[in-house]
Amino acid sequence: MGVGSSHGNGLFFRTLSEKQAEEIHLASCQILEETGMVIYHEEAIELLKQAGALVENGNRVYFPTYLVKKALQSAPSRVTLYNRNGEAALHLEGSNVYFGTGSDTMNYLDPFSQQRRSWLQDDVANAIKLCDSLPNIDFVMSMGLLSDVDPHMINREQYAIMLQNTIKPQVVIAEDGDTLQDIIEMAAGAVGSKERLRQKPLFMVYTEPTSPLQHPKESIDKLLIAAENGVPTNFACGGVAGASVPTTIAGALVQANAEALSGLVIHQLKAPGAPFVYGYGNSPLDMRTMQAVYGTPEAVLFQGGAVDLAHYYGLPSWGYAGCCNAKVCDEQAIVESTMFTVMGALQGCNIMHDVFYMEFGLTGSLELLVISNEVIDRTRRLLKGINTDKEALGVEAIRRVGPGGNFLGDEHTAKHFRKNWRPELSDFNSYENWSETGSKTMVERARERIKLILETHQPELVSEEVKETIETVLRKAREKFGAV
Amino acid sequence: MSDFDSLAQIVINGDFGGAKSLTQKMIDNGVDPLDIINQGLMTGMNVVGVRFKAGDMYVPEVMMSARAMSTGIELVKPLIADKDMPTAGKVVIGTVKGDLHDIGKKLVVMMMESAGFEIIDIGVDIDPATFVKAVKEHNPQVIGMSALLTTTMLSMKDTIDALKKEGLRDSVKIIIGGAPITQGFADQIGADGYAPDAAAATELCRRLIA
Repeated sequence: MGVGSSHGNGLFFRTLSEKQAEEIHLASCQILEETGMVIYHEEAIELLKQAGALVENGNRVYFPTYLVKKALQSAPSRVTLYNRNGEAALHLEGSNVYFGTGSDTMNYLDPFSQQRRSWLQDDVANAIKLCDSLPNIDFVMSMGLLSDVDPHMINREQYAIMLQNTIKPQVVIAEDGDTLQDIIEMAAGAVGSKERLRQKPLFMVYTEPTSPLQHPKESIDKLLIAAENGVPTNFACGGVAGASVPTTIAGALVQANAEALSGLVIHQLKAPGAPFVYGYGNSPLDMRTMQAVYGTPEAVLFQGGAVDLAHYYGLPSWGYAGCCNAKVCDEQAIVESTMFTVMGALQGCNIMHDVFYMEFGLTGSLELLVISNEVIDRTRRLLKGINTDKEALGVEAIRRVGPGGNFLGDEHTAKHFRKNWRPELSDFNSYENWSETGSKTMVERARERIKLILETHQPELVSEEVKETIETVLRKAREKFGAV
Repeated sequence: MSDFDSLAQIVINGDFGGAKSLTQKMIDNGVDPLDIINQGLMTGMNVVGVRFKAGDMYVPEVMMSARAMSTGIELVKPLIADKDMPTAGKVVIGTVKGDLHDIGKKLVVMMMESAGFEIIDIGVDIDPATFVKAVKEHNPQVIGMSALLTTTMLSMKDTIDALKKEGLRDSVKIIIGGAPITQGFADQIGADGYAPDAAAATELCRRLIA
């Protein structure tokens, strides 16, 4: 595999050279072999020991480079996620790009009251319903941290809401292994059986190390459960450059890569060939405010490097798009989120999450989601590149119209103009027409769109039987936690 | 430039090698150890504080300055009686029960130490009883509690209740922080203060102790 992303008609983008990718790879292998990782998981340590890793002080594990090589050989180069109806939806491979939301924001920026408040179950249901209707949102994450359910039930209740309000694939967060088992149970209920779910995964699970160089028990529990059940997973921390990973982009890449590869090694030892999505995040620490910020130019470049490493290894890639540090859906929100979305697409990052994130991921905005849907639409057109076939070159049309003529009346225009991008939310009116329709800004138009969709869109329902399965899983868990 | 001015400048530059050699030289020359701290090391650190506030210095540079100051203090400390050691105040800090996150807390510790506070970091996953024990043992002016998870932040109130029960509540100021924490939550559980970031936490402690 070579670095770089090939899009339509020769459009090509790369961040790292082949040589740089190799330098980073070798530096990561050096870290794995000489510095090692602390792993808080007995089974994982045992697996690694058996495979030839050196273990000191009970949980400090040093990874020989050949284990990395072996894991890279057995990991599949493509992963497919299916929708609730069992149709292939996301082909995570090559330079394909897909976009989805993020999970668990603390605050909901209510588009109607414009208040920043806690999420309720109805809010998350509406937000997921909105995702279901937006054509450029390809998968969902839980969006909001529920404030109106028992804390231990949050991930399960979120999953039940996602499963029932969209057929789109999901990326899930699970508090622990038990939660993940319950989510698998609900998903299996929706698609028919666990075997079916393994064959046609409806969701991918998010697991992460704790940077620097630590693997918590819960994360490895989930990583191993995912491997066993054939549920696709990543092992992707959100690094904070200058605090949990080095402040240099290259240093952050070396450590991030070492941590992701260490997860891959454990995952492939447990179940060779199980689906794994490579990736890592980086939100550099702003040294004035001490906030971990999204989408700085360095963070965007970091993602380009990480995606090129995925290409170098022949693994599907995981990353970010459409997220920002702004507090409301203002100019900064659009600048930051759009830059990330466009660049992430050019980088060829297969599955990009966090579209709709504001305030470093603490708040979610449906306005930003709807506007991003249009940004992604524009971006997808960009990725098709320039068609240069005979008809597109238009030599005949240019000859026909000739000097001083007008292409508006020519059949070539009528035949092809519909292939060009057209806006839904962006305003292309004259000033007079724009002011006649209320002089609305884009964010105001986005709010109207949200209102209209929530009033009219009806997601495909699950059957009564599936509903019952979901309810049974939830009821058992609620009883376990004494939650009513 | 006097040795005091040079030492202050060395602290501002974050030159911990230089701080070590000049402090040692001043000790060898018989300079009063308290003067080395107050007129040299602290003077430099105060300038750093002003420049940081003004936006002319950033946190990593403040860290280097703090490290230079500590290098000097380590050398003079054995020469000064404990009761004479200058300090901005004593703070016990920990991440609450059930929570293992400590990057934010470590930032607060580093910022406060660089501002001259004596910090006793009692770690992560700290239950109310352990906080109470630490207050009895160290007699701090402030205790700080940190939480990243909405599931664990509730235990902050348990700690406050435990301190009340032991009759210790009025002997310390309680501050809380972490991603899910708000001023509203601080008011609700009866904490004395909340700070949204590490720099603000330092200011908050100064205010509460003053």
